[in-house]
Amino acid sequence: MRIFFLFFFALGATVSFSQNKQLLYGFDEIPQSLLLNPGAKVSQKGHIGIPFLSQIHLNVGTSGVTVFDIFGESNVDINTRIRNKIFEMKDSDFFTATQQLDILNFGWKSKKDYYFSGGVYQEFDFISYFPRDLAILAWEGNRDYIGYEFDLGQVSTTGDVLTVYHFGANKQVGKKLAVGARAKLYSSIASFRSVDNRGTFVTPLGDGDVNIYEHTLTNVNVQVETSGIADLDEGSIASKTVGRALLGGNLGLGLDLGATYDISESFTASASILDLGMVFHTKNVEAYRATGDYTLDGIELIFPPFADSQGTLPYYDDLEDEIEREIPIDTLTGRYTQLRPVKLNASLRYNFGNRVGRGGPCDCRNGGAAEITEQAVGIHLFGMDRPKRMQTAATVYYYRRLWDFLSAKATYTIDPYSSSNVGLGISSRFGKFNFYVAADNLLHYGNLAKANNVSLQLGFNIIFDEE
Amino acid sequence: MKIFNPWHIAVGAFILLCSSCVRDTDFEQAEAIALMPVVELNLIYFNLEASSFYDTISATPVLTIRDTTEIDFLDDSTLQESLKRAEFYFKFTNSIPREFQVDFQFLSEMDDTTYVAQTRVASGATANPVITEFVEDVNEDGIIRLTQANKVVVSVTIPSSNENLEGELNLQSKTTYYPEY
Repeated sequence: MRIFFLFFFALGATVSFSQNKQLLYGFDEIPQSLLLNPGAKVSQKGHIGIPFLSQIHLNVGTSGVTVFDIFGESNVDINTRIRNKIFEMKDSDFFTATQQLDILNFGWKSKKDYYFSGGVYQEFDFISYFPRDLAILAWEGNRDYIGYEFDLGQVSTTGDVLTVYHFGANKQVGKKLAVGARAKLYSSIASFRSVDNRGTFVTPLGDGDVNIYEHTLTNVNVQVETSGIADLDEGSIASKTVGRALLGGNLGLGLDLGATYDISESFTASASILDLGMVFHTKNVEAYRATGDYTLDGIELIFPPFADSQGTLPYYDDLEDEIEREIPIDTLTGRYTQLRPVKLNASLRYNFGNRVGRGGPCDCRNGGAAEITEQAVGIHLFGMDRPKRMQTAATVYYYRRLWDFLSAKATYTIDPYSSSNVGLGISSRFGKFNFYVAADNLLHYGNLAKANNVSLQLGFNIIFDEE
Repeated sequence: MKIFNPWHIAVGAFILLCSSCVRDTDFEQAEAIALMPVVELNLIYFNLEASSFYDTISATPVLTIRDTTEIDFLDDSTLQESLKRAEFYFKFTNSIPREFQVDFQFLSEMDDTTYVAQTRVASGATANPVITEFVEDVNEDGIIRLTQANKVVVSVTIPSSNENLEGELNLQSKTTYYPEY
């Protein structure tokens, strides 16, 4: 029980929007920006990511509580602080963690001016909404909540470990428009989810005829679906994991689409939709579902006349049987299909300042395409499908090409939970060698315990420029 | 101009990242985290007719009747470690014109008596049932003994009985558990 609370409260720095990569999106010097918008503008001739180092992305956090809220030095007892937070948080608050590791990433421009890119990355993604009622029940018990309906439907969590094989094509169509698409093949290593649950637990006073209370479960339908987990205790986990990562897992298909359009010489709009797909869980699937209604009155003694000589009735066993009969927990092994969490990005960018790579004041043959300038400002909107609702974030950013070998992007992101997220990303070049790093919540960097959102992306690439 | 190269920048970025820290926190407080829910659960209930205390076949009074039920969760090792206090609440409603003595005898799996509680139930009348409430608060040593038990024997004793005795003895009960995790 204590572990449950430590998990929720000690885990968290926080990631309000763990898959929002506002620093990388539109940062075209970084080849991995193609993973966020396959229709991004591509200026290089080719690229190769340093294997296992071309993108490392980490993100953990919660939306309603920080580490400091719980573990900060304070005269208030930690249990009081936890209790206050439990009541302060809502069932829409969540805890999430995301990790991505680019194993392989490459791209090249074909003779017909297509930019093909592909690779393999591994992803871990976890989200759990805060089951507020169950937390209250666990922390407080039911004595002070007689008649209160604890909502079992607040349990909503998913977790996935998978490998993604991807290949995409990007094409500049005319002067103004770049479009791209990326096909994805998912190989799920392990997955679980418990969503769309329902049911209530309530302890009202009895009507006087039977017992003091009526502990009642109503309309219960709670389900946990897993794949790749049930057999983990059999044999070597490492060999199973590697096998599943190498297309031996439950497979799925997905698609990314994106485009960038120069509205004018100064304005550029772009948008992308990512992970439009699903994973088909057919192997090593195990699901558990509890359904039904039940009222627990206690154990009724009937004082059978034979009690003295022949023992008594198996009241307790009968009670257990009755509960199992009324709220059966079925183990299901059927296949299920899981939609991938779709992500949406949209951005409008205003380019200004000195133009890059062209000395003159105007390129009259530009055909209306946006200038590549040393500075830009823009807005970026992000949305991600999550079990309970779409999560959204809005970012304003400033881009600056400081020198030929160094560009930077600063962001300010707001979302329903945080309005103080300032991030900074830099991309540097030395010959063909590229290094980039981007981090969120710099205002809290002096004390990450107070951060509601911490994310970090970094990577190394070799980039081949157009001659 | 290129006084920097990507390695300088990478190293600089790492130094910056490593310079971040978690301050003004005390994670040793985790040791003080204690869940102390207060859980109320129904326990046993019964409804005894006055006729239960007279054997019409042998025409003899039955002065003590008893029944036993397992309470398997009570000697669960997790509960043994976490339960700090338990409070039993028994509510008798008696319309039989007799006093009763009710004994609760908690037994271990080996049928050793680990805890006992006893109360008297006031005499009632058919037209005027009398309520007797009894609270047994179990602490410290009592909890250790109580959580060795996995069944309870309930004995109801009437001082005298006859075939014309009328009324009912009703029990409703609950337990308030005070665990600490």
